[in-house]
Amino acid sequence: MKTSLFRAAMGSLLCGGFLHFSFAQEFVQDLGNSTIVAEQSTETILDGLRKDEELQAEKLDRKISTTIAETIKNEPDIAIRSMGPAAARPVIKGLSGSHVTLTEDGSFCGDMSATSPDHAVASEVLTAHKLNIVRGPRILNESFATAGGVIRVNHNDIPFEIETVRAFSSSDLRTRDSLSSNSQTRDSSNSQFHGYVTGYTESGQPGFATVVGANANIHGLSLKGELSARNMSDMRTPDGDLKNTDIENKSFAVGAAYNFERFKLGASFRNFNSTYGIPGGFIGGHPNGVDIDLFKRDLTLRGLYLPAQKSSDTLNVTFRLNQYHHTEYETKEYVGAEFAVNQENFRIEKFIAQSGPFFGIHFGGEFDMRSIEMGGYVFTPPTNSYSASLFSVASLNGWRDGLEITLSARLGGAFFRPQKSVVADKGAIEDRNFALWAIAAEFSQRVTPGKFLTLNVFRTTRAPTIEELYNQGPHLAAYTYERGNHKLDAESGYGAELEFRDYGEIVNWRAAVHSTWFLNHLAPRATGDTNWSQILPIYQVSGDDALLMGGSASVELPAEQGFYAQAGASYVCGFYQNENWSDMPQIPPFKFHGEIAYLWAHVRAGINTEFALAQNRVDRYEERTPGYVTFGASLEFHWSLALTHYSIILRSENLFDADMRNHLSRLKSVMPEKGRNLSLLAKAEF
Amino acid sequence: MKKFQFLALAILSLVFAACSDSNSTSTEQHEHFEVEGWRLYSAEWDTLYSVYRGKETANLEGLKVNANCMSAHIHVKFLDENNKEIAGPSDDEHSLGWDVGDSKILDIHFEGGWGFHLKGLKEGETTLILKVKHHDHADAKTPEIKVVVDKALDADKCPFQEDEDED
Repeated sequence: MKTSLFRAAMGSLLCGGFLHFSFAQEFVQDLGNSTIVAEQSTETILDGLRKDEELQAEKLDRKISTTIAETIKNEPDIAIRSMGPAAARPVIKGLSGSHVTLTEDGSFCGDMSATSPDHAVASEVLTAHKLNIVRGPRILNESFATAGGVIRVNHNDIPFEIETVRAFSSSDLRTRDSLSSNSQTRDSSNSQFHGYVTGYTESGQPGFATVVGANANIHGLSLKGELSARNMSDMRTPDGDLKNTDIENKSFAVGAAYNFERFKLGASFRNFNSTYGIPGGFIGGHPNGVDIDLFKRDLTLRGLYLPAQKSSDTLNVTFRLNQYHHTEYETKEYVGAEFAVNQENFRIEKFIAQSGPFFGIHFGGEFDMRSIEMGGYVFTPPTNSYSASLFSVASLNGWRDGLEITLSARLGGAFFRPQKSVVADKGAIEDRNFALWAIAAEFSQRVTPGKFLTLNVFRTTRAPTIEELYNQGPHLAAYTYERGNHKLDAESGYGAELEFRDYGEIVNWRAAVHSTWFLNHLAPRATGDTNWSQILPIYQVSGDDALLMGGSASVELPAEQGFYAQAGASYVCGFYQNENWSDMPQIPPFKFHGEIAYLWAHVRAGINTEFALAQNRVDRYEERTPGYVTFGASLEFHWSLALTHYSIILRSENLFDADMRNHLSRLKSVMPEKGRNLSLLAKAEF
Repeated sequence: MKKFQFLALAILSLVFAACSDSNSTSTEQHEHFEVEGWRLYSAEWDTLYSVYRGKETANLEGLKVNANCMSAHIHVKFLDENNKEIAGPSDDEHSLGWDVGDSKILDIHFEGGWGFHLKGLKEGETTLILKVKHHDHADAKTPEIKVVVDKALDADKCPFQEDEDED
């Protein structure tokens, strides 16, 4: 009954490479023309399939752009909320802000990108080794917001396992994506040194980005060092240059790890500095825009314990100390707004491979302390906040042939302690405590070989942010006057997602529909009023009952050589519960992305298109956005020589310089998005 | 053991590097001078222009000056949320600021306090935005105010002579 791993691997290759070696208990899973065999199962088949959707290696290089949001923009259910090319943050299923959690190397990404559209994500995308959009019940490992999602950015700063690069022959070149993703446990014993150099340049926002990194193993002590820099000038649009959109990022990271017999200990330090511009020219906005300087420092300590009797049942302890500083300048010398955030997070997580009917069990706790100070013209009082939570995720099968169930829960609280401030309304300085709980259950049934029907039902929740609770004043760079509400309750909601996946002989496809009924959906909404002192539109945070629903579909024609095709589309709509079921704000329109490519041994050439329909379903006082169509092309070369792997990726986007407006961009009324863009990525790994 | 010591030293160094720099704001939070409207008076205290919550009062004289001439002193007053007139802030941190739409047509002559003179440079029409500046930041500002610069007059024929300025 057992098929060899070789056969399984071959089957996987034919099936587009969705085999994973980390499957748990002994089972044989027939997936069309492939057979997966594994022992010591630690995850469901569905989670294994999802792993192939992670962006890493060449799959990531192919999509690398200016920001994380730009890089993952064509993944299912993803859109971009932006305010210029630097201030871009991913949106999942129409949900943004703190509905979308970003993590770096398994711990929180300590920036303020969730709180305002002009705040950039403090992470250099070129330093990411893997980008992973967490879906389903596993969201509760890191967040209460199951309706949204988690985006994991993996830098591998603590080098517990040193990646090795082997010489790739032509026949396995295209399978490298899947193989590298499968190689969860890398062989560090035979490699003493590993390095990588990547350079990126483009014409749409002229400039360059580069990263140089190296890992070394010296007598069992693993070390990592990495430097990156990005320097890009103003963005070019079909209507001319968009002034004050330049970006300058610098980062460095160092890490060390040591493996004792039953313990692994490691530490890392990552420093990220960024200077970027927010364009001006809005009604009520600063005529010349605003310049933003920020830095982020992360110190991470991690320990891993592998019990002697069962080394797969690990105990993982992580401590992260984060400092984030953000300054907005109205003129070169003058500080308009300033934020200083100090945050500490302690996380302990136990993993049990198998216990009774359950497998792949994660459970643990997290404690977080955050203090935030403000300066300049920021109208939120300094606030200390604390949160604590317990979480658990476990899977089981065996009840019914082909049925796998994953259950998860997260329980905790968030506590806000605002300080006295000259800018805050005394009546609004009120301590707030929120009890939070979220659960999810995912039922995945193999209908026939290679076909899976999955139902995920969940309860989602989140506490309001301090800005949503206490803010009361103009926001310089966002060109809004923002009013919080210290009486807000936590947001909650109930939802479901139904997905069908079919891995056939020729084509793989998936389609999903989702719906969430929100009780007290928290969002800043344009009130239609104006603050007449600064002539800014007033946005008030309100909690409304709302229905959000949508769907996504993707199809892939996988190939080792010859024709390859892939297409995907996403749609979401949202309504507030009122007499007219009025439309929710900031909902992305229907979007389609398709690509056809031809693959040779070392070369890949393709053409692609992207279109979005007009967004006419808008909230009161929100502007409609026209649709667009763009076309692009790509040419890639990948080869190995003397134990070094080289990649050169040439890409053109928006070839016909189409006027592309992003509905979720505050700049859409002023300027279109990036125009014709030619980019080049060159990479060497040794 | 040496390896462990090295790792411990590296971790301690990282902790020291991360914690040694304090992270706090370098600027204080500033209060805003909030107004709902503006009123501009002539030297004789006739209302020239008034705006409250974005609505300009019709049938007022407006801002006018001849090219090559300076207007009489214009007083600036503010309107609070109850449409009640209030004076500008008296501290050193606040001052009057302005943006002129076309600086070839109009210039502003400022002598301190909450008042100013228009100075016509060339016949034409332009706009003026007045601001309450708090350091370099604008706490409040007017909508675009239309300013008419009439035909040029010889200096001695200007309705207002600089030495007449009561200020």
